[in-house]
Amino acid sequence: MSAHATASPPSGRDVPPARRARGRVDWPRVALHAGCLAALIVLLYPLAWLVATSFKPADEVLSSLALLPSRLATENYSTAADGIEGVSLLQLFGNSLTISLGAVLGNVLSCSLAAYAFARLRFRLRGPLFAFMIATIMLPHHAVLIPQYIVFNQLGMVNTFWPMVLPKFLATDAFFVFLMVQFMRGLPRELDEAAKIDGCGPFRTFARIVLPLTRPALITTAIFTFIWTWNDFFTQLIYLFEPGKYTLTLALRTFVDTSSQSAYGPMFAMSVIALLPIVLFFLAFQRLLVEGMANSGLKG
Amino acid sequence: MYRPRTRAFGAAAAAFALCAALAGCSQGASAAGDGKVVLRFTWWGNADRAARTEKAVAAFEKAHPNVDIRTSYSPYEAYKQKLATQAAGGDAPDIVQLDYRQISQYAGSGILLDLAEQRKALPTGQMDKSLLRTGQFEGKQYAIPMGVGTQALAYDKEAWREAGVPPPRPGWTWDDLESVLREVKREHDSPVMTDPGSMEDWFEVWLRSRGKRLYDENGQVAFSEDDLTRYWTYTSKLRKEGLVSPAEGTTQLDGSVENSPMGRKKAMAEFNWDAPSAGFESVYGDRLALAPMPAGENGTMGQYYKPSMLIGISAKSSHPREAARFIDFLLNSDKAADILTVDRGTPVNNRQRERMLPNLTGFQKAVADLQKSLEGKLKAPPTAPPRGDNALQSVFQKDYDQVAFEKASPRRMAQQFLTEARAELRP
Amino acid sequence: MPPTPTTSPAAAAAPGADGAGAAAGRPRAGGPGRRLGRSGGRPPRREPQGPAWIFLSPWVLGAAVLTLLPMAVSLYLSFTDYNLFDPPSWIGLRNYVQMFTEDPRLLRSVGNTLLYVLVAVPLQLALALAAAVALKSMRRGKDFYRSAFYAPSLLGASMSIALVWRALFNDGGTVDNFLSTFGVHTGGWVNRPGWALLTVALLTVWQFGAPMVIFLAGLQQIPGELYEAAAVDGAGRWRQFASITLPMLSPVLFFNLVLQTIQAFQVFTPAFAVSGGRGGPADSTLFYTLYLYDRGFTASHMGYASAMAWMLLLAIGIVTAVLFRTSRSWVFYANEEGH
Repeated sequence: MSAHATASPPSGRDVPPARRARGRVDWPRVALHAGCLAALIVLLYPLAWLVATSFKPADEVLSSLALLPSRLATENYSTAADGIEGVSLLQLFGNSLTISLGAVLGNVLSCSLAAYAFARLRFRLRGPLFAFMIATIMLPHHAVLIPQYIVFNQLGMVNTFWPMVLPKFLATDAFFVFLMVQFMRGLPRELDEAAKIDGCGPFRTFARIVLPLTRPALITTAIFTFIWTWNDFFTQLIYLFEPGKYTLTLALRTFVDTSSQSAYGPMFAMSVIALLPIVLFFLAFQRLLVEGMANSGLKG
Repeated sequence: MYRPRTRAFGAAAAAFALCAALAGCSQGASAAGDGKVVLRFTWWGNADRAARTEKAVAAFEKAHPNVDIRTSYSPYEAYKQKLATQAAGGDAPDIVQLDYRQISQYAGSGILLDLAEQRKALPTGQMDKSLLRTGQFEGKQYAIPMGVGTQALAYDKEAWREAGVPPPRPGWTWDDLESVLREVKREHDSPVMTDPGSMEDWFEVWLRSRGKRLYDENGQVAFSEDDLTRYWTYTSKLRKEGLVSPAEGTTQLDGSVENSPMGRKKAMAEFNWDAPSAGFESVYGDRLALAPMPAGENGTMGQYYKPSMLIGISAKSSHPREAARFIDFLLNSDKAADILTVDRGTPVNNRQRERMLPNLTGFQKAVADLQKSLEGKLKAPPTAPPRGDNALQSVFQKDYDQVAFEKASPRRMAQQFLTEARAELRP
Repeated sequence: MPPTPTTSPAAAAAPGADGAGAAAGRPRAGGPGRRLGRSGGRPPRREPQGPAWIFLSPWVLGAAVLTLLPMAVSLYLSFTDYNLFDPPSWIGLRNYVQMFTEDPRLLRSVGNTLLYVLVAVPLQLALALAAAVALKSMRRGKDFYRSAFYAPSLLGASMSIALVWRALFNDGGTVDNFLSTFGVHTGGWVNRPGWALLTVALLTVWQFGAPMVIFLAGLQQIPGELYEAAAVDGAGRWRQFASITLPMLSPVLFFNLVLQTIQAFQVFTPAFAVSGGRGGPADSTLFYTLYLYDRGFTASHMGYASAMAWMLLLAIGIVTAVLFRTSRSWVFYANEEGH
C-alpha cells in the first residue's frame, strides 16, 4: 500500500520471479505479511479466548482479565462430558451427527436432481419455476415456521429428526439448487451433446457425466449443509423435546438456564467441543475443495 | 404441448395425494407396544431438578408398573416456547408444568383439563385454599401449585453490617428502602441495589402496598398512568442518585445470576424471588441473606405467597386418571416429597410442609425462615394474571429501558405502556 | 455466513445474468450471447418433458408442501387474530393498520434493521474486497490466509460464538479492558444503546471471509494481460484498481451485495444472543426479525407476526429489485462488453 507498491506490478502471480531484484528486502511484501498476520491475530482472538476460557476455573471465568487461565482447569470439560442429565455427551454428539449427515445426504441428492433439471432440461414453466426457486432463497423462514410445524405435527414427525432432515430431501434449501444450477451451466454443453450422440438418456447423462463433474459443487453443498445443520438452534429447539433427542446445540442452551445458577465454564467447554467437528470438517475438506477446483477444468 | 402439461399436473396431484395419505396415517402414540399407558410429562428447570424429578418418576413407575412416563425438560424460556408450539399443534404433553402467568392462556383456550373431573385420583384437601385459587380460571381448577415462594430482597449482609445498617424487618417501607440504600452507599460508594424499575413483579408489590393491584376481575389493567409514572419516578430518583444500578447494568437483567448487577458484584442487593435467590450463593456464599419486601406507608404488605409453579393435565390426554394419580403422587406422597424436597418451592401440601421445614439447612432454611416471618401478614395472592400478561412483562422491561437510558420521561413511557397493555389485553 | 461457491468462479459471476433476470420476473430477458456455453441462438427443440419432472419431483413436493402451502397459510393468518391456541379469527387489515399507526416499537425495529444493513454490509464487503486484493498479490501463504480468514464465516453462525461475543464486548470484557489501557472507558458495548448495534455489526464484519473468498475467485478470472497493458501505459496501482479490478469484478461484487443484503435483513441469532433475545438496550438491537419473533412467540400474536413476515418479504423483494435495476448502470459483464 506504500508508494513503492506502484513500482512493482500489482499481480504477483503474473510476474516471473526473475524480474525482482535479488538480495533486497521486498518491504511492501513484508508489510503485507505483517498486516495479514496482525489481522489474523485480531480475527482469531475470540476463538483463542473461547478455548482459554473453557480451561479457566469457575471463579476466573467472568472476573479474570487475563487471557490465559491461572491453572489449566479441566473440570469444565469433565462437567461437559457428563452431558446433560441422563444423556451423555456421546449421545448428544451422535444426535447432532445423525441430523447433520442426514441433511447432507438429502441436500446433495435432491438439490443436484433439481439443479440438473433447471440447468439442462427443457420443460414448461421452467422460467417461472426457476424464478420461484430463486425467490425462496430470500424467503424469511419465520414466514413458514408455524404452518410448517402444523404440517409436521399432522405427519406425526414432531420430536423426531425428520423435520430437520426431510425438508433437505425435498430440496427446500434453494440456495444449493441455485449454486449447482450455476455450476452445471458452467460445464461445457458439448459433453451433453456427445453423451446424447452416444445414446445416453437424461438419467445416464446426469449420473455418468454431469454428477461427477459437479463434484466440487456437491462438496461445497455438503460442507455448508453439515455446518449449518450442526449450528442450527431454532429448528431443533422447536421440534426436539426429549433430552434423549437433544443435540449438542440444545444441550449448550441448558447450561444457560435463566432461572438458576448458570455455569459459563462448562458452557464454553461444550462450545469448544461443539465447534471442533466444524473446524476439523473444514480443515479436512479444504484440501478436497482446492483439488476439486484445480481438477474440474472449468476455467478452460 | 398438451400432453406434457397433463403429466405435470399429474405429478403435482400425485405429490399432494402422497402428502394427504401421509397426513392421514399419523397417530398420536399414547400406548406403548406392550400395552403400557404412556404419559408425557414436561417441565422447566435445571439438571438438579431433572435428577430429582427422574427419581420421583422412577418411584412412581415402580409402584405403577403399567404406566410409562416419558419426561422432558428445558430452560424456562425454551420451555415456554416449546409448550406453546406443541399446544398449538394440538400436541400438548399429558402432564405439564405451568407458570402462574400461563394459566389463563392455557385454561382459557381449552388446553387444560378441569381437575374436578379427577377429584378422586387427585385430592386437594391438604392444600391451602387461597393458594389453590391461583390455579383457577373462571372458577374452575385447572392447575395445582407445586410449591410456594414469595418476593424478597436478597442482599449481602456483610455490606449492611459494615455500613451499620440493621437487617430489614417485616413492615419496613419504601421510604426506609431509600434511606437504607443511601446509608449503605455512604459506606461503599457504589450502587447498592439492582434497579427495581424494570420488573413488573416488583411494581406489583409496590402497587399492592398502596392498596392497588395490577389487574381487575375482567383481566383489564387496574392501575393508572399516574401510578406507573410515580413508581418509575421513584426508581429514577434512586438511579440518578446512584443508589441503584445504572441503565447499562439493569438492561441486561434476564433472570440469570451472570446477567444481574448483583451477580456481577456491581450491586449488593436485588429484589428477587426467595428460592431462586440461591443462585447468588455461588458469588456471596454465606454473606447472602433474605429480607422481606418494603411495605406501604400504613404498613400494608405488597408481597404475597405465589405459586412458584403449577401442574396441570392436558384436556386431550387419553389417560387423565393415570396423569392425576401421578400428580397426586408428586404433591401428596411422602415418598415423592422426600425426593423432591423444596426444589420447586415450599410444598403446598400442609403435611409435607410440616415434614420438610424442620430438616432444612443453609439457604433453604433462610427461605423457610423468611416465609415463616411473614405468616399471617400477607394478603391473598391475586388470581392468575390474564393472558397477555406474559408479553406485557417484557414490554414493561423494554419501556423502562427507555426511561433508564433517559430517552423518554417516566410519564411518556407510562402512557405508552398503558396503550400497549390495552391493545394486548383487548378481549 | 453466506454459502460460498469457492469452487466455482463461474457460478459467482453468473447470477448477474441468470438468477437476476429470473428474480426480477424476466426469466428469458438475458439477451442472446449473454451467457457462455449455452445454445441460446438455436431454435428450441422438442424434448420429452417427463424426465425433467422426475428430476424435479422432490423439489416440487417440497416447494408445494413446505413452502407454498405454509406461505399461503401464513398469508391467511396475517388477516387474523391468532394466538396459537384458539382458532384464528378474521380481522381484515387490522394487523397491517396497527403496524403502521399504533406500534412505535415496530418502526424502531425497521430503523435499526436499515441502520444495521447500511453499516454492516458495506463494511463487510469493503474489508472482504481489500483482503481479497491483498491476498491475490501474495505468493506464499495465500492459501493459508484464505482459509484462516474464512474460518470465522463458518463458526460465526453458532450460538456459542454469539455468546463469546457478548462476553467479549461486555462491561469488564476484553474489549472494554483493552480500551481502558488507552484511557477509554466504554463500560461495555453490549449494554449501551448505539454501541450494541455496532457489536452485532462487528460480528457480521468478522465473517468477511465468505465474500472475500468469492472476490478472490473473481479476481483470479481477471486476465493478467490487462494489468500488464495498463502498467505499460503508466497506470498506477489505484488507477488499475479503479479501471480494471472494480469493473471486472462488478458482477461478483453485485452478487455479494445482493446476498449479504438479503441476509443482513434477516439477521437474528447474534442480536438474539447479544441482547438476551429482547433487542435491548433500549430497543437498540431490536431488529425486525427479532421483533417478529417477539410478537409471534413471546406475545403469541401469530397473526400479527405473519403480517410482519409478509411485509419483510415485500421489503426484501423491493430492495432486491432496486438493486437489480441500479445494477444495469454499474455491473459490467465481460462477455457483453466485448461486442
